[in-house]
Amino acid sequence: MKKVVNIPLGSQHISLLEPIRFQFTTENEKIIEVGADVGFVHRGIEKACSETFEWKKVGYVVARVCGLCAITHSLSYTLAVERLLGYEANERIKYLRMLMVELDRIHSHMLCLAHVSENAGFEAMFMQIMADRELVMDIQEAISGNRVQFDYIAIGGVNRDVTPELVNMIHKNLDELRPKIDDLMERFSNNWSLSLKYKGVGVLTLDEAYIYNALGPLARASGLKTDVRAESSDFPYEDVGYEMIFESSGDIYARNMVRLREIINSITMCENIIDNLPTGEIIEKVKGKPEGEVVVRVEAPRGELFYLVKGSRKNFLDRVRIKTPTFSAIPAMMEVFKGSEYADAPAILASFDPCMSCTAK
Amino acid sequence: MSFFKRFRKKSPWILHYNAGSCNGCDIEILATLAPKYDLERFGVINTGNPKQSDIFLVTGPVTYRSRERLVKLYTQMPEPKVVIAVGSCTTTGGVFRGMYNVEDGIDQYIPVDVYVPGCASSPQLIIDGVVKALEILENKNQEIEKPFKLFGGIRQVGTKTSRRDMAKKVEPNRSDDDQS
Amino acid sequence: MPIRKVEIRLEDMLDELTTFYDAKVWHFLTVNGIDLGDGKIELQWIFSKYGVKDETVLFSAVTAYETKVPSVVSLIPSATLSEREIVDMFGVEIEGAAKGLYLDEDSLTMPLRCSL
Repeated sequence: MKKVVNIPLGSQHISLLEPIRFQFTTENEKIIEVGADVGFVHRGIEKACSETFEWKKVGYVVARVCGLCAITHSLSYTLAVERLLGYEANERIKYLRMLMVELDRIHSHMLCLAHVSENAGFEAMFMQIMADRELVMDIQEAISGNRVQFDYIAIGGVNRDVTPELVNMIHKNLDELRPKIDDLMERFSNNWSLSLKYKGVGVLTLDEAYIYNALGPLARASGLKTDVRAESSDFPYEDVGYEMIFESSGDIYARNMVRLREIINSITMCENIIDNLPTGEIIEKVKGKPEGEVVVRVEAPRGELFYLVKGSRKNFLDRVRIKTPTFSAIPAMMEVFKGSEYADAPAILASFDPCMSCTAK
Repeated sequence: MSFFKRFRKKSPWILHYNAGSCNGCDIEILATLAPKYDLERFGVINTGNPKQSDIFLVTGPVTYRSRERLVKLYTQMPEPKVVIAVGSCTTTGGVFRGMYNVEDGIDQYIPVDVYVPGCASSPQLIIDGVVKALEILENKNQEIEKPFKLFGGIRQVGTKTSRRDMAKKVEPNRSDDDQS
Repeated sequence: MPIRKVEIRLEDMLDELTTFYDAKVWHFLTVNGIDLGDGKIELQWIFSKYGVKDETVLFSAVTAYETKVPSVVSLIPSATLSEREIVDMFGVEIEGAAKGLYLDEDSLTMPLRCSL
């Protein structure tokens, strides 16, 4: 006998870090329909960027869109404004910016993996990953002076330099982290509750990924080869050992694997960056006021981040349009929920690594 | 009663709610619960159920849509309870102050006991805040459990007997004449 | 990033996008709106190409506040949220896109309009 049941999840729930409300319609145990309310975190940053704050301050405001990928937000805005002002950063600035973005990616992916294991009922693993994550947080604190929200990127450069002592410290911590990630990879592929249980659960096929415009690790786990690091020429990613990582099965297991392998790749890139830091100034003076319209794409930990900035030689910008990765991933997310068991819903949700404060701005 | 009191002092449970923050403080709260900073050594555990929690950790300037949930969660928590506002935007609105969908800090809606500043608050500050909150929780606890008697305030107003103050709490060590 | 801007009329928008859009080649980024003042809004549909460096195409159409805008959801299913956001932010009417993603369903505010 079939019975249709409505089950709400959220807006406050132990497995959710942020307020989002789902409305699952289930038929026995199968989810047949999903509704989501994502507006709990809407603050109105887009309006404030063009009316309350002057263009020089906006970089620090947009960082507060999201605490996890704050660096990519301020980076995209800064790149957009620098392009409007006709300024191109020197190699050292580019390398330092790349370093922070990759460190941010490592700690964000580790947080996601910790959540996935917590939702699998593996509390000890959650604690272990969070403890290992502190190695990266320490590096970020040493470089920028704050653990999250470090406002490292300024228009025309970066705010702090990397000293030789810091280079040693980064090497030490990353060397310590690498075997731990290798160990995690083994756990995630051999432990029953993290690998076999997750194979074939929450599948996004390649065709669905194309149709619903999946992006970031979500798309790469389905075999869709898209990564803004390879699709934009803002940063010399090829020089520091970037390689695109993708899987083909598109389930939770594949998404975990993509994240783990990306962490390894990011560690390699960070090491290459600090070994080959070019010389130069870390901040340069930029003159003028932004004029024109420009788009910037940057690969945030969750996928592609898009900024459109329009200015007309005034202190206030005409428009700052922010399109965040989770915002685009939600249609694909809804599609994956349909047809899966209700008991898997928290695990599937965690494997998407949704960021609601990004989504609602 | 003292039996429960002892356990409550040693194991206050935390309820965490994000009222529109940028996630920065939330991940710092998670990091604080994790082994390096280890907030759990105070017996604190993160729970999702307001009815079993003693400490309410709130992050974020209250957004328009989350304000109802915030008050609802607060009212569902049993007494005694302590509210900690984590982060600059939670205490005053911070960088979001004045935006059209933001209500400028949680003390517009619920009483706050401890303010933890910082954008984002560092784990050390959050630990300080929770330790302070434990103290306040203990005080509130004692306040609640202080014995009192009713039927204190029978007064003569003119020719009539006023029983208006009858339901007031009267501390037993004070004589009936002192209050009124 | 160099940006290719294609100016189209709103009536031709669906036809243009139907001939242009191929899900396996183009990645749909977002729908954007810019208030130009004087009751006019510029709507933009932005795409980028998979696997090619720095190729972004922006279709732009100018419309008035009151004009009913056709929806692209039948063509690009993932445009639902972007369209609802535009409806919320500018108070324009898009076919099939309901108000109430961020604001209340009956809210009268249109935050990103210049005049308000």
